[in-house]
Amino acid sequence: MIAVGALAFGLAPASPIAFEEVAHKAGLHFQLRNGESGKFHQIELMGGGVAVLDYNNDGCMDIFFTNGAAIPELKKSTPEYSNRLFRNNCDMTFTDVTSEAGVGGEGYSMAVAAADYDNDGFTDLFVAGVDRNILYHNLGNGRFADVTVKAGVGAQSPRPWSISSGWVDYDNDGWLDLFITNYVQWDPAKEPRCGLAEQQFYCHPSQYRGLPNQLFHNNRDGTFTDVSTKSGIGAHIGKGMGVAFADMDGDGFTDIFVSNDSVRNFLFHNQGNGTFREMSLETGTALRDDGLPIAGMGTDWRDFDNDGSPDLVVAGMINDGFLLFRNLGGNRGFEDAGERSGLLLGTRQFTGWGLGMYDLDNDGWKDMFFGLAHFTQLGKYLGRDAALSNRVFRNDGGKRFVDVSSTAGPDFHKAALNRGVAFGDFDNDGRVDVVVSCLNGPAKLYRNVTPGGAHWLALKLHGVHANRQGLGASVRVVLPDGRTLSNHATTAVGYASSSEPLVRFGLGSSPAVSSVEVRWPGGRTQQLRNVGIDRMVEVVEQ
Amino acid sequence: MMRHAVLFLVTFLPGGAWAQGYERSPGYGAYKQADALFTARKTSEAAGALEHSLKLDPDLVPALTLYARIAMSINRFEVARESLNRALAVDPKSANARFLYGLSYYLSNDLQHALPQFEKARQENPKDARASLYLGLTYESIGRFDEAIALYEESVRRQPSAESYLAGARLLHSQRRLDDCERWIREALKLEPNSRDAHFELTRLLLRQEKPRLAAKEGERALELSGGNVSDSQIHYLLVRAYRTTSPALAEQHAEALRRIEDRSAPETKKDKP
Repeated sequence: MIAVGALAFGLAPASPIAFEEVAHKAGLHFQLRNGESGKFHQIELMGGGVAVLDYNNDGCMDIFFTNGAAIPELKKSTPEYSNRLFRNNCDMTFTDVTSEAGVGGEGYSMAVAAADYDNDGFTDLFVAGVDRNILYHNLGNGRFADVTVKAGVGAQSPRPWSISSGWVDYDNDGWLDLFITNYVQWDPAKEPRCGLAEQQFYCHPSQYRGLPNQLFHNNRDGTFTDVSTKSGIGAHIGKGMGVAFADMDGDGFTDIFVSNDSVRNFLFHNQGNGTFREMSLETGTALRDDGLPIAGMGTDWRDFDNDGSPDLVVAGMINDGFLLFRNLGGNRGFEDAGERSGLLLGTRQFTGWGLGMYDLDNDGWKDMFFGLAHFTQLGKYLGRDAALSNRVFRNDGGKRFVDVSSTAGPDFHKAALNRGVAFGDFDNDGRVDVVVSCLNGPAKLYRNVTPGGAHWLALKLHGVHANRQGLGASVRVVLPDGRTLSNHATTAVGYASSSEPLVRFGLGSSPAVSSVEVRWPGGRTQQLRNVGIDRMVEVVEQ
Repeated sequence: MMRHAVLFLVTFLPGGAWAQGYERSPGYGAYKQADALFTARKTSEAAGALEHSLKLDPDLVPALTLYARIAMSINRFEVARESLNRALAVDPKSANARFLYGLSYYLSNDLQHALPQFEKARQENPKDARASLYLGLTYESIGRFDEAIALYEESVRRQPSAESYLAGARLLHSQRRLDDCERWIREALKLEPNSRDAHFELTRLLLRQEKPRLAAKEGERALELSGGNVSDSQIHYLLVRAYRTTSPALAEQHAEALRRIEDRSAPETKKDKP
């Protein structure tokens, strides 16, 4: 009786979320190398950005990994430091096409952001790093060209240490602009020595000066203008690790959240006139519940309770507890939902890096996947290894997050120094898969094998007035039982990483959707009827 | 955790109780002087007086443990342990020395070594509430929450203190045992009605209970008080949240106050260490 009732209301009985780790089988052979040499250079701790993108438009998601370099010269002196692009052969195997694509990179790379910045239909790549950034223009023939200098997004001296980046159309002009999250000033020649007399440690971030973030406006001609000062973004010094974009108050303009390490987070509210006002304190997203900052790392901004307003999750380090800020809607700000949801206590023993809020079992509620590892020196003092196994937390009706890792698959019992995480459906079966970059270890590819056959819908947006990928568009799906699901298009997810641009919905056992509404950047809305389910639907802006 | 423990070192360990029986030592007078100087946060002068004391009596246990406390306050944990080893060689049953040994590991985040030392201190000295408290804090840091709560309960049984009650209250809060949390905070306030930390925790709890007006009242009270471990920034943040719906203008005032504090300690004023 209960099961029938649940089905009648379109609620799927819970299927255990399950993944199979298949990187080796898939030919995805990559190891993130940080160049560590026993000298405790701070940059060794970070890095590991990974992108999911369809670079050749064959309908199958490919993967790009960033990589480190030799320290202190910061050169990719051997092939083991190369950034790598893997083409999905559309059969869950991958081929390394780095050389042919021309994206091996230079310098010490940290982060990647994938999007079609020139609206030519091909996804481009921006790679941020310690000593240089690189903008790769996708030529459409399997190759990329380094257009950094021409674009004006690389030249700055001294180079800030960038850890995350993302593409966002902040002024709704239909062209994607570039946001870069910067961490601290770092100079290998002036690295402080931290720790005890008898034992050196990596330094606490307080030993370094923070940096402002950067915003580059797309001039629509292949060049960008640094508007960091003009926009107000550059007025705020932080220690940025993750970035996420969403329209927090439904005013039609995309806002920007930056998770900072050991100082308060930033929430840049888009004023709609080319400027931003930093409002993390006013919105309640700055700090933990007790008023202390955490070692903020990866972040995602999505609606976890299906109330139509996107919520924030931020990973931290051991004994921080990860943050969950529930959006109260409109201009009412956020409330701290970490304790109530079980996430704060459930994550207190973890150090998190990449993460994402995705409906992993397609039951209509977005779950969470965390890439975890303690800082490499910390293990000694905890009496346990710094390596951790990744974790999956299932969203229980928008109220609580439950750690279901123990039944999610054998790899969730295997520890590694996990870093960047990115999401995409590599086998196009409607279940979101995950790729994870691991420090000095093999990358992981988690194929989602969750049983139950719950229904799903994926939208591939095609902007006409809006940017071509529709990034920034909000989508609302109404189910026959009246329930509403919401999501939005973004590739900036987690830490240093970039995920697929599709907008996904798990539908549970609902046999159809009643309506789909797309709100394009700029405010135009488009209603879709008779949308089929269990497929990817292309939506062209009208 | 670090700031908390440094204050603890200075204020929570009066030399008198642990120095009984040593009055006849030739170094005792200099030791008492050093203790008073350290309590007054005159660390360099205290170290000087202490060196004089130990010259007169190298085996004076209170002086050796005070030396360890001074060393820990400047992050010289190995030096502290050397001094404590000497103290324990002279007096293996020194409760203070044993506890401080564990603390030297705890303050350097070496939790796996802190645990057995605190456990030993707790077993050897059934009246020592600090050992129970810090063992609890250590267990809490490694995720053993049930054991931590039990130890906080033991600590208050051995010797009730606001510090122990508040440690328990914070953990109970994180576990959403809000009634128990409130009870513990109220016990702390009975012992120390002007405890800034206790009023802060009550503010947090009232916010959690969705009582913003009462939370604001408590937060303003906390801001008036001094001492404790909670910073002005933390209180201002709670007040921003408390006033957000009831008085946006006051919320903005507290946000600005917090920003001014940040500006005063901005990175531009920090010098890079060599």
